[in-house]
Amino acid sequence: MPSRPLWRLVVHALLVMASLVMVVPFVWIVLTAFKERNEVFSQIPQWLPAHPTFNNFLGVLDAMPFWQYYWNTLVVAFGLLAVQLVTITLAAYAFARMEFRGRDLFFILLLVQLMIAPQSTVVQNYITVTRVGLLDTKLAIMAPYLASAFGTFLLRQTFKGIPKELEEAAALDGCGALRFLLHVAIPLALPGYLAFGLVSITYHWNEFFWPLIVTETAKSRTLTLGLGVFAQTAEGSADWTMLMAMTLMVIAVPLIMFLVFQRRFINSFMQSGLGG
Amino acid sequence: MRRTLAVARPYLYILPTFFFLVIFTHWPILRTFYVSFFKWNMATPKMEFVGLANYAQAWSAPLFWEVLWNNLVFAAGTVPLTLALALALALLINQKIRGLAIYRALLFYPTMIPMAAAAMIWLWILTPNYGLLNYYGKWLGLPDVHWLGHNKLAIWALVLVGVWKRVGYYMVIYLAGLQVIPEYLYEAARIEGAGPWQRFWRVTFPLVSPTTFFVGIMAVIDAFQAIDQVYLMTRGGPGNATNLFIFYIYQNAFRFFDFGYASAVSAVLFLILLTLTLLAFRTLHRKVHYA
Repeated sequence: MPSRPLWRLVVHALLVMASLVMVVPFVWIVLTAFKERNEVFSQIPQWLPAHPTFNNFLGVLDAMPFWQYYWNTLVVAFGLLAVQLVTITLAAYAFARMEFRGRDLFFILLLVQLMIAPQSTVVQNYITVTRVGLLDTKLAIMAPYLASAFGTFLLRQTFKGIPKELEEAAALDGCGALRFLLHVAIPLALPGYLAFGLVSITYHWNEFFWPLIVTETAKSRTLTLGLGVFAQTAEGSADWTMLMAMTLMVIAVPLIMFLVFQRRFINSFMQSGLGG
Repeated sequence: MRRTLAVARPYLYILPTFFFLVIFTHWPILRTFYVSFFKWNMATPKMEFVGLANYAQAWSAPLFWEVLWNNLVFAAGTVPLTLALALALALLINQKIRGLAIYRALLFYPTMIPMAAAAMIWLWILTPNYGLLNYYGKWLGLPDVHWLGHNKLAIWALVLVGVWKRVGYYMVIYLAGLQVIPEYLYEAARIEGAGPWQRFWRVTFPLVSPTTFFVGIMAVIDAFQAIDQVYLMTRGGPGNATNLFIFYIYQNAFRFFDFGYASAVSAVLFLILLTLTLLAFRTLHRKVHYA
């Protein structure tokens, strides 16, 4: 059996190697984003930019309505979350703390959303969105996610954990269900809300395929789409420095948020995996 | 009046959720199956009942089988590799060592970024002549080729991106599984004289196997839903060498406007994924008994 210090060294060595494989691609695009356009066409990779420049970032702002994409992404991610918070809170509360006929059946019908792959209903949802005249709107991007089985499930667990006595005591003091929900249940469930919020915002910030199908113009396109569309134009596909600058601009804020709140993000994603 | 309200209240609470759920989850499932029995395309803009004709068309289309095969190769390439690496990394991270938070962040961050961004990063790294992979790959004995333009290798380039993007996520799930294994089992094994190798195969591996099974199915489901990297990196090419299920559906629905056929293929995919999901849910229940 290897001695402790030696074993530790091996563990570090392996982890450093794995981390490098994960990080080098990222470092490479960061460095590329600061290079001059023609500098990248070299047979032998030049790591450091010879003349570091911000022109690629400025070029992105000229080449496309970048801030419009940014605004759309913010509206989609946070607007959607705002609606979701209402729908999941009400539903989770009913499922956790109310008796009603058909409750189990309704709960199974809710879980259907967790069990089906969203991609397999894309065609039909496109038809629905078109029929109700929502094509090429931000609302169309949000529509299929306004109800969230994952969020409802997560909150239901938390709400179930609140002792019955607390609710009875509140009721004796004349506190109705809605006030109990607002003043007791929701504050107690804040960690659950945070976990759900982080996963939801990340997911919708990153989503590509559904927005691709239901949007047609810059007025409703999100950042990932702007990136994808730009990459497939003739100028975009040839201009690696600008493409990498844009990639960096799309992921910068979420990535910084992740580095700052690492533990919270990871825990939230862990719950999302186990929840469905 | 108060009584009516008391009875109605729970239903009012679940109403917003079910309003959207019915429109965007239940209805599209039923409607997908319904439409799959109709001819509905550019030539036939009014839906026309054709029974199982769309399914028969898929059955006899070589491309449908090629797509299914590609997707199986993609799943067989990504899933075992991702899981094995994820478990190995989770074991390493689970040691009491310094710098843990840094390693974890570096291994996990690809989960956080959009697949569209990951696709751009790897397009650039895989690009012929100026790409990093061809230059440094030579040291590792990799061929100097245009990966994404190669008949056989293109799908493995997609596998590479898939593994890179997802391994940190599954590592974290494994980590959760490892941390509930009680320490006394390792103590007991140590007292019995079991080395690290035996401790892994006799204690760790069996105890994380429910996680492995669950995560494995989730990863296969993921593999069958892969689309962003196909759309952005290869467009299903060269030829149809990287045409995967969702891209095939996309082509039929939104390029050829054949909604009947696209619905039939969606229905097939739906059934495949539903079967896998039900399996995953069953293991999730079993896992609760384990803990």
